[in-house]
Amino acid sequence: MRRQSVTQRHRVMPTGNKEEIMNSLKCRRYSYTLAIPGLVLYLIFFVIPAGLGLVLSFVRILGFDLSSARFGGLENYIDVFTQPNMRRAITNSFIFAVITTVFKMGIGLSLAVALNRRMAFTNALRTIFFLPAVINTVAVGLIFSSLMHPSNGLINAFLENVGLSALTKSWLADPHLAIFSVCAIEIWKWSGFTMVILLSGMQTIGKDFYEAAEIDGAGEFTKFRYITFPLLLPAFNNALILSIIGGLKVFDLIQATTQGGPGSATEVFGTLIYKSFGAGRFGEGCAASMILALVIAGIALPTYRYIAGKEVEM
Amino acid sequence: MKKNRWITIILNLVLWLCAFLILIPVYMVIINSFKNQSEAAKMNMMLPTQWQIFKNYYDMIKEGGILRGFVNSTVITVICVLFLIILCSTMAFVLERRKTVLSRMVNMTVIFGLVLPLQIIPTYFVCNFLHLTHETAAVFVLIAANMSFTVFLYTGFIKSIPQEIDESAWIDGAGQTELFFRIIFPLLQPVTITAVIINFMAVWNDFGISIYFLNSAKNYTLPLTVYNFFGNHSSDWQLVFANVVLSTLPVAAVYLLLQKYIIPGMTSGAVKG
Repeated sequence: MRRQSVTQRHRVMPTGNKEEIMNSLKCRRYSYTLAIPGLVLYLIFFVIPAGLGLVLSFVRILGFDLSSARFGGLENYIDVFTQPNMRRAITNSFIFAVITTVFKMGIGLSLAVALNRRMAFTNALRTIFFLPAVINTVAVGLIFSSLMHPSNGLINAFLENVGLSALTKSWLADPHLAIFSVCAIEIWKWSGFTMVILLSGMQTIGKDFYEAAEIDGAGEFTKFRYITFPLLLPAFNNALILSIIGGLKVFDLIQATTQGGPGSATEVFGTLIYKSFGAGRFGEGCAASMILALVIAGIALPTYRYIAGKEVEM
Repeated sequence: MKKNRWITIILNLVLWLCAFLILIPVYMVIINSFKNQSEAAKMNMMLPTQWQIFKNYYDMIKEGGILRGFVNSTVITVICVLFLIILCSTMAFVLERRKTVLSRMVNMTVIFGLVLPLQIIPTYFVCNFLHLTHETAAVFVLIAANMSFTVFLYTGFIKSIPQEIDESAWIDGAGQTELFFRIIFPLLQPVTITAVIINFMAVWNDFGISIYFLNSAKNYTLPLTVYNFFGNHSSDWQLVFANVVLSTLPVAAVYLLLQKYIIPGMTSGAVKG
């Protein structure tokens, strides 16, 4: 019995030793020392806050005085779900994410298909469509606050001039309309970005696929349906996820245009967290923030899995 | 063939119509920033009867704190981008190459930040606890918020660099730091350019994080000067428009000059994933 184990060890040891040596060598060559500054920074300013946020969301606290904190159980979460403002914010975040995603993907895809060919102005058009993506959101918000101005704004002036004065609206001041107007601004800003993602995806598709299809007599639509779209799925997928996450996280655009108003008509998670922060209701803010994180993870991950499963290998 | 030409013409028309939806607002802002107060309040597309270019921009620069905003934005952006490049490339290198259980788990945690939004209120608590000044806090948080994506970008690229390069450098007597900074980092140049562009745009245009941390005219970045200027001067549209023009001018100029790099740069992470 004993002898056996010794021989076994003897047989295993040399290779084990070699691996160990290789491993320790590798660990020295790629030691964590080089990565530590970055890891520490990420730990302090991202990981610890995430944990602290979870703790704070169960705590009643006013101001930064941690000694005033007392355990509140689910109180913060109950507040988030029972206050009408909060429910409004949750619905609005979803409306915003869904509408902007549908339009950004639709417009982005149409523009990408249209510009995925050589025409006289292809490059100029691409440059123009991408331009809103580099302008800061506050400036975009102000530009549209002016365009959507109820009495002087360009949009209403245009509608009146073409005889559609019945359609003039106070775009950002009408509580029923404001959230859709804000969606329109987001779509204006980011459709070109989606277009570029899809365009670069299309350019990786080999020309021979199309040539083969043409020989078989495929029309434009068939080519799109059976070649472009399936091979575009990875890029489409990423653009979709980015758009959903961006839509649920939205804060800056709404803060720059309506600040959640009129009333609570355009309240979203982002403005809600900002307001509870301003009012010193930190626990509630953290609870809202946690719910948002869960919602994002809950939507983004399954969507990604689902579409990733449908991808075609090139 | 004739049918094809008609399609191209109609397609071009539709595309230019869409392009005008972007160009008209831009034109409207620029032309109205040249008008006097009562004309600018009408916000139409007509040319100004009285050109007031110098006065508007002079008033704006004097009152809007735009120069200070420009300096603040530049300082914060340069520091953040520099740190992000160095911290994230080293992190990605170690985490990608080690291939131990722990390093994989750490990498997963870092990448998870791509999905999970930054918990801003507890972050504020941490900064408060560490007694950081507003500016320092903003810089650290902006770095942390953009780290996941930058590490993700670098990791993908480092995978494509053969490990034999490390080994031969190691045998030639290079230490870890030397190996990374003298051999590997230069090879990362294409992805470094992308990372610089993405982070430059993200930090320069940031509003959602800086609004929490930067709260006095002294430390406002450009987007914050625009936001607060509008809060105080919402009836002086000529100045608001001038403000919008000046605050977007630097980044728009950079975009038009370097679009060949910026467009693929800003979207590259999303294309392949």
